[in-house]
Amino acid sequence: MARRQGTVENLCQGLLDLDDDKFSAMCSAFGYLQEWPDLSAMCGANLGVPAVAAAAPSAGDGNDSSSCSGSGGGGFRKRKPDEYLDAKGGASDMSKRPRGKQLSGLSEIAAPGKGKQERPKAGAKKKAEAAAAGQKTDYIHVRARRGQATDSHSLAERVRRERISERMRYLQELVPGCSKVTGKAGMLDEIINYVQSLQKQVEFLSMKIAASNPVVSFNIVEDLFGRQLKQACSPAAALPAMALPAGQLELSCLQMSPMQQVHPSAAASSTGFRLDMVVNNLYAPAAASCPVSAAPSVSVAAGPSTIEPCLNVNGTAAWDIGAQNLFSGFDAQFQSVESDCLLDNLKMEM
Amino acid sequence: MSSRRSSSRGNISEDEINELISKLQALLPSSRRRGSGQASTTKLLKETCSYIKSLHREVDDLSDRLSDLMSTMDHNSPGAEIIRSILRS
Repeated sequence: MARRQGTVENLCQGLLDLDDDKFSAMCSAFGYLQEWPDLSAMCGANLGVPAVAAAAPSAGDGNDSSSCSGSGGGGFRKRKPDEYLDAKGGASDMSKRPRGKQLSGLSEIAAPGKGKQERPKAGAKKKAEAAAAGQKTDYIHVRARRGQATDSHSLAERVRRERISERMRYLQELVPGCSKVTGKAGMLDEIINYVQSLQKQVEFLSMKIAASNPVVSFNIVEDLFGRQLKQACSPAAALPAMALPAGQLELSCLQMSPMQQVHPSAAASSTGFRLDMVVNNLYAPAAASCPVSAAPSVSVAAGPSTIEPCLNVNGTAAWDIGAQNLFSGFDAQFQSVESDCLLDNLKMEM
Repeated sequence: MSSRRSSSRGNISEDEINELISKLQALLPSSRRRGSGQASTTKLLKETCSYIKSLHREVDDLSDRLSDLMSTMDHNSPGAEIIRSILRS
């Protein structure tokens, strides 16, 4: 403390000179000059602005604290002048008063104010936890009602609960029907159900879109699931683009079909369908007259599957490209080697 | 404090709440990615808020797309047939 005062004194000598008379008037009001001759140096440095000094006791106190922690003084302003005197006295008594002050002023003390107040004064042994609470809850005013605990844990807990209930209120607005439910558990239940239903809805919608328009929807589906299936996706993404030139696409409402998922109604409920959409970007109409190979691969990326790409022009005719077992194992090599092979096959057959 | 309150209000135990919270956490994509780490309830609820909002956006976007597709699509084309069959199922 002494060291700090010394440096402050050195640094702010000019300021001190400027404010000296006003400052000493203020200090004498508190009887500071007698008790803390050195403090005048420090307070003078803190005061800095003459206008504040002119504003009598409360301004002096407010300035002191703001220069140190800068957290809101809402709690301060509510106090009466005699409480300021108490606070000053407490500071000069070096930590004898603060605790008692906290308890007596219970109903009006804002948590940040507490930690802040003791800090600037002479290294007073401010309650470490009180300061921690004050910093953690910057700008959040926690009010301790009569009979509520004021220790840091209780305060922090109260802030936490406050935040949680705030979020819950917000969620209540977001989730329809949630406002009717009372109780946290009911609300959480409702929220969980709602999130699940939304997830299902998104899945279903993206599936429908993917089914109705495979070429366009590929991007969407890739957005949705591509991260999980990046590996499986990359060779498949290359497949339609390479194997099917744009002209043919327009010419013939073209559908590539992974054969294990021919029936749409069956496919709609299975996750494999979604995966296949991602990987192959294809849709098989129920009326497709392609030969069906019964390879039940749910995990397309892992299981060796027999896929027969078939060109389906207006749902009437289908070419079997004869690329049986061509895709067995969607590994990286597929893209470089096997897709070339497929492309050749495709050209030959056509 | 909180247990006192909850017991007076009903028979919801803290355990039940915690169970629901972890259930909710399992639904969120971010927490799933991060692993089994238990995030704070506040953060979890915040994430839930943003997740619900993003889902809303997604649903809106997708349904817009779907309606666009439906309107642009020829009614007797095979594509429309497919959509109809899916919508029925």
